[in-house]
Amino acid sequence: MVTTDLSNALIKADSLCVSIKNKSILKNLSFHVDTGEIYALLGGNGAGKSTTLKTLLGFNTPSSGSVTIEGKEVNQALNFVRGKTAYLPESATLYSHLTARENVNYFLSLADIKKTDDEINQAFDRVALQADARDRHMQTYSKGMRQKTAIALAILREAPIFLLDEPTSGLDPVAIDEFNQLVRELASTGATILMVTHDVYGACQVANRIGLLRDGELVGEFAAAENSRIDTEQVHAAFAQRGTA
Amino acid sequence: MNYFFQQLNREWRFMLRQKYILILLTCTFLISSFSVLSGLNEISQQQQTLERLKAADTVDREAAQKKHHDPGSIAYYSFHLTSSAPSNLAFAALGERDIYPWKHRIKMLALEGQIYESDTQNAELAQAGKIDFVFVLSALSPLLIILLFHDLYASERTSGRHDLLVTTAKSSWALWGARGAIRFISLLLCLMVPFYFGAWLSGTNLSNVVMVSFWSVIYLIFWTILSVYWGKNASSAPRVASGLIGIWVLFAFIIPILGDLTINKLVHSPEGGDIVLTQREAVNDAWDIPKETTMDAFIASYPEWKDHVAMESEFEWKWYYAFQQVGDQTAAPLSQAYRDAAHKKYQLAGIASLLSPPLLLQRVLTRLANTDAVAAFQYEQQIRDFHERLRLFYYPFLFTQQKLGETQLATMPSFEKLTQIQKAELNSNIDTSQ
Repeated sequence: MVTTDLSNALIKADSLCVSIKNKSILKNLSFHVDTGEIYALLGGNGAGKSTTLKTLLGFNTPSSGSVTIEGKEVNQALNFVRGKTAYLPESATLYSHLTARENVNYFLSLADIKKTDDEINQAFDRVALQADARDRHMQTYSKGMRQKTAIALAILREAPIFLLDEPTSGLDPVAIDEFNQLVRELASTGATILMVTHDVYGACQVANRIGLLRDGELVGEFAAAENSRIDTEQVHAAFAQRGTA
Repeated sequence: MNYFFQQLNREWRFMLRQKYILILLTCTFLISSFSVLSGLNEISQQQQTLERLKAADTVDREAAQKKHHDPGSIAYYSFHLTSSAPSNLAFAALGERDIYPWKHRIKMLALEGQIYESDTQNAELAQAGKIDFVFVLSALSPLLIILLFHDLYASERTSGRHDLLVTTAKSSWALWGARGAIRFISLLLCLMVPFYFGAWLSGTNLSNVVMVSFWSVIYLIFWTILSVYWGKNASSAPRVASGLIGIWVLFAFIIPILGDLTINKLVHSPEGGDIVLTQREAVNDAWDIPKETTMDAFIASYPEWKDHVAMESEFEWKWYYAFQQVGDQTAAPLSQAYRDAAHKKYQLAGIASLLSPPLLLQRVLTRLANTDAVAAFQYEQQIRDFHERLRLFYYPFLFTQQKLGETQLATMPSFEKLTQIQKAELNSNIDTSQ
């Protein structure tokens, strides 16, 4: 288990409770993510992963407790928080009638960010999106290619925090490897990454720390030792102990 | 300001890539253009008819005056064209002009029959109405707005882009505000540009153009806010569309139909045909009843001729026109009840229109275009005023055997002059009250 040092925490949930339609979804959830860290919130269906992410994005209001980004309460500094975060939805459905480049330009314009064509190409290079695909309509894209485009957009936004919702769901093994490598690369440049996933193996491959979420509660945390990865079997065993934690 | 236009510019370019919106806007432009052209054509036909009738009217009357020399025959054979010329905004709001008559060629005979003759025509023919600009604006544009705005949020939710868009956009205005504004402005232009073209061709007053624009914008904003608000939290575009279309059907059809049924149930009105029949029976009966009875009834209304009612022969024009007038007097209570009922119905329709924005808009714009029931009532009153002046012109010649020569005929009342005088009086009253 992990010792808690909150001095470097960029994302922090403290005794967070969220109810939706009178149903308690998150119950006293506390965790933090440090700068440059890759943190995976792991849990099964209905564990509260997406609710946690949506609360961090300001779509849900906590019934008690707090959730902060860079020390600012999310719901009280929504524009600040959204300016600091790049969100990657589970199904990164961009506009299929636009090309990848047009999509990126459109979303950047929404964020009031100006980038040159060279900078956009560099972002595409970084996510390894093929050059001949960049000006094709996205209706011809695979999920992996759409995911890469969305990450390129997140990179171009230069947000210090990445919030990823089931990022490898539906990707083939090669695409998952590419994605994990990209995530590690982003973290190595100082980005802070919080991903929610139900993929134990994937989380152990990429995360520095894993929080195990069950029925809206954090039931365990696992951290990788220096220069090694989190023990998949240990996490898997904890994940499989449904209702016994 | 630059930021504001940047957002609009982006959403404009984005909208140009969405085929279904472009098709919808093109359809809007075509429907609006069709309604304006249809209105212009209808008004042009009405104007041509009036011009033709005016020319024929003068020729016919001059011919009758040349052919006949006694006042009774001249009055009998002379027709007088009365008309309610369309306003320069009528092309956009034809209003009641396809239900109420806008032209009558009247004689000095009993008037009620001449006015309500057309009321006995098949009313079913008027049911279909005309597709004018006001119809497109009031009844169809809400549907176009619903189609354009119902999925503003829902389509983004169902496609999974909503949260990404919201968290990426710098402000809510940058996304929903600019996107909604561009769609609204585009729809407004597609609807209004044909109207402005029509207004330019018709020489519509600037004040009327401004007022139509003002009410159109208010009305479209109402439907836009309703559509956006209704769809804001919904995740299913078809469900949003169904709800909004339900509201549209309620406002545009159910409330007006129920209102009409209720008003007709509440307000009882004699049929125009009953008035015609009553008046004609009174006129026909006059041939068989003692002449004194007719003259006594006439003198009761026009005592100034009491010393001139004695007759020297079986038929005299003064008796003939007296029983025409008595025929009108007999039908007067029915005629008054008919008009009172029409006014009452109009007032109640005003109350009903408060529950139906499309009806309210039609009411406001047809009033502006002077094509509503009020305009029809005013025209009918002008005919009555003119008919009375005509009678008062002829009575001295009929009752005192004065000569009706060219000099006198030149002073004969003219409907056109009368309406000009009334208009001038109205304007002068407005100036005085100001």
